[in-house]
Amino acid sequence: MTFEPLGRSLSDFTVELDVYSGPYEWLLALILKDELEIFEVPLRELVESYLLARQPDAANGLERDTDFAGSAAALILLKSRTLSPTIDADSEGIEDEPLSADELAERLTQYLKVRRAAEHLKDRFTSNAGHYVSAHTIAPRQGSLSVNPDRVSLAARQAFSRLIEPPVRHLGPITVTLQELAGIIRTAIAGGPISYESLTSDMDRMNRAVAFAAALSLAQEGSLTLTQAEPLGPLTLEPAT
Amino acid sequence: MRDQEQRPWPAHLVEAVLLVSASPIGSSDLRSATGLSDQELESALAGLRERYAPEASGIVLREVAGGYLLSTNPACSGAVETFRQEARPAPLSGAAHEVLACALYLGPLTRGAVSRVRGVNSDAVIRSLIERNLLVEVGADHDAPGSPALLGVTDDFLAATGATSRRDFPPVDSLVTQEELDRVRERLASSGTAPHDAGSEPA
Repeated sequence: MTFEPLGRSLSDFTVELDVYSGPYEWLLALILKDELEIFEVPLRELVESYLLARQPDAANGLERDTDFAGSAAALILLKSRTLSPTIDADSEGIEDEPLSADELAERLTQYLKVRRAAEHLKDRFTSNAGHYVSAHTIAPRQGSLSVNPDRVSLAARQAFSRLIEPPVRHLGPITVTLQELAGIIRTAIAGGPISYESLTSDMDRMNRAVAFAAALSLAQEGSLTLTQAEPLGPLTLEPAT
Repeated sequence: MRDQEQRPWPAHLVEAVLLVSASPIGSSDLRSATGLSDQELESALAGLRERYAPEASGIVLREVAGGYLLSTNPACSGAVETFRQEARPAPLSGAAHEVLACALYLGPLTRGAVSRVRGVNSDAVIRSLIERNLLVEVGADHDAPGSPALLGVTDDFLAATGATSRRDFPPVDSLVTQEELDRVRERLASSGTAPHDAGSEPA
């Protein structure tokens, strides 16, 4: 369903309905975007609103009338299509067979009762409106199947996120690379074994740590040998034999 | 409140449980939660009815959907809506009231049966009512092809209409007068489609 452009002649026409209050053009937009069900819109009230607001003496009066008649006709067509039974041989509920007089009377009687019951319900809804309950939400009882989207989201985040990085602010900036320290170590051990303590005596905490990593790396590739006579004792670096 | 060595007053227990519930609580659940006897519970509820009468408080005690529910007083709804920054839900359409009337008085029934009674396709209205939790699928009609879902009204519907149960609604026959029924038959007769028992010739 499409509407012809209104030409903005109805831009100042506003409507006051139970289901919507505001500019008529916006009402059309909401219906077209399926944000407002057409069957909820009382078209008769809409037409009556327009007739009350009609300005026959205005300069664009005819244009306004034409635009409104066009859009209102489209709304009527859209609503009738929405409410009409689906033309489908398998559709349930709406029969193609013509009703006998008795059946028709029965149907009309039943529908009349439903109409009256609907009016009764409307009164009850109106008289009981405006009650608001506690905003507290009770947790689901054990054994009942319930999925809390927030908890699923949290679990997914925990499952797929990286572990929290340890704080490193106390280490200070890195001023030397592993390769540079490896070169320093190679030069130092070229003259013979050297203790780790003397090698790193003039280094800061960060560089000592990197130097140890470099030493381990060189030992792994076979460039030097790490010797520690006793646990927690002095560590000696010596050229590989 | 009694002193700390003793239990709170029964009315206080019931009041506290009701305060944190957004849906009606039945007597058995109230007894189970508070440990009160039938007599204590009834006495507590009587006191709360008085304390939370509409003319006495901004909170009212309602007996709806087979249970008890604390709600705000409708007289204060404007302030509540302003605080929550949300408008009151739009009132239901006439079509929606008709569908609910079908489900209430003729249900549980299928979507097709609702459409048959109303004479128009009601699927969109039903979908809207299910979204508003006033209508729910309560089973299936296994005798019909495809076992279509059966629709019934919900506890939210009972609460919204201020009903304790479906029995709170007047019989549907009492809502229509004999004169109205006679007029239907007269119109059928005048249109040439009078039923047999109306005394007119069939069409």
